[in-house]
Amino acid sequence: MMTFIKKNKFLVLSIILLIVLTIVDIRLTYTALENSGKQILSMLMIVPPIFVLIGLFDVWIPRETIITLMGEGSKGRGMILAFLLGAFSAGPTLIAFPLAMLMLKKGAKYSNVIFFLMVWSSLKLPIVFYQITTLGLQFSMIINVTMLIVFIISALLVDKIFTKEEKEQFVETANQYSK
Amino acid sequence: MSIEVYVIYGLAILLLLISFLKDKNKTKKGLMKAGKSFLKLMPVLIPLFLFVGILLAVITPAFISSILGEESGFLGYVIGMSVGSITFMSPFVAYPLGQELLLNGAAYPQVAGFLVTLMSVGLVYFAMESKFFNKKAAIYRNLISFLGAVVVVLVVLVVYS
Repeated sequence: MMTFIKKNKFLVLSIILLIVLTIVDIRLTYTALENSGKQILSMLMIVPPIFVLIGLFDVWIPRETIITLMGEGSKGRGMILAFLLGAFSAGPTLIAFPLAMLMLKKGAKYSNVIFFLMVWSSLKLPIVFYQITTLGLQFSMIINVTMLIVFIISALLVDKIFTKEEKEQFVETANQYSK
Repeated sequence: MSIEVYVIYGLAILLLLISFLKDKNKTKKGLMKAGKSFLKLMPVLIPLFLFVGILLAVITPAFISSILGEESGFLGYVIGMSVGSITFMSPFVAYPLGQELLLNGAAYPQVAGFLVTLMSVGLVYFAMESKFFNKKAAIYRNLISFLGAVVVVLVVLVVYS
């Protein structure tokens, strides 16, 4: 029983929340279920083509290419590439995790991978104009530029914070994950 | 459905066709891998999205702008950034939400903190992220993003005061 709860904590939490909502106001329960349905459906819509792309990437792109482009010796060029990949991609941040694993497996440097993840989550070049028209130039630029600087610094600090063994472990996990 | 979905489907179909014409076996192998990782991820993702959907029924834009108002002060930052840290929302969804909040009377610095944490800090996915990398890596990424949000708030405060 305990292991079931531990393994399925979000399922258990959801059921508890739903019961509470039903007691408070059953209309909230309907909205909640409708929301969840929509969330799951849109996820199911966007995930398959991304996994197809990841699968193709895995079989077609040789390890050597990624090592040269984003590996240990890639320097600034690797970071720029990580930025472009993150900034021009679309899809929920969750999807970036499997992609990041694949990059690690193919020999990309961890600092580039984490930079890619961070950029993916919050910096999107395709909607920059939209951002400016809705939130104003100043407000959007403060967010974008500040986050970019923070992300660059934290990516550069990665080698100080993570040991070589830890980084090797990441690659090991990545290998196991996409066998 | 948004344009990004069409673009991704188009791209996946196009590359799949090219790949299939070039090498049937490799394509098959790639698809098998895609299917396997998809099946591995689904049992984790579906309960998570169920949970997030339920949360979104309670945490509506009206509710959020009511706590992020001009007079909300320090507590407004704390609540805004905590709520923002629960789940990930893509910038494509987060920015329109930010505009709605501002129109509903929420203040700029609070909205900035909320938006940045909303996009980059996802505590609901912490267990999953730890499994993919490790705990330290998940803490590092979330913490840096949260600190980034604090810096953004400070800059907004300075610029808008």
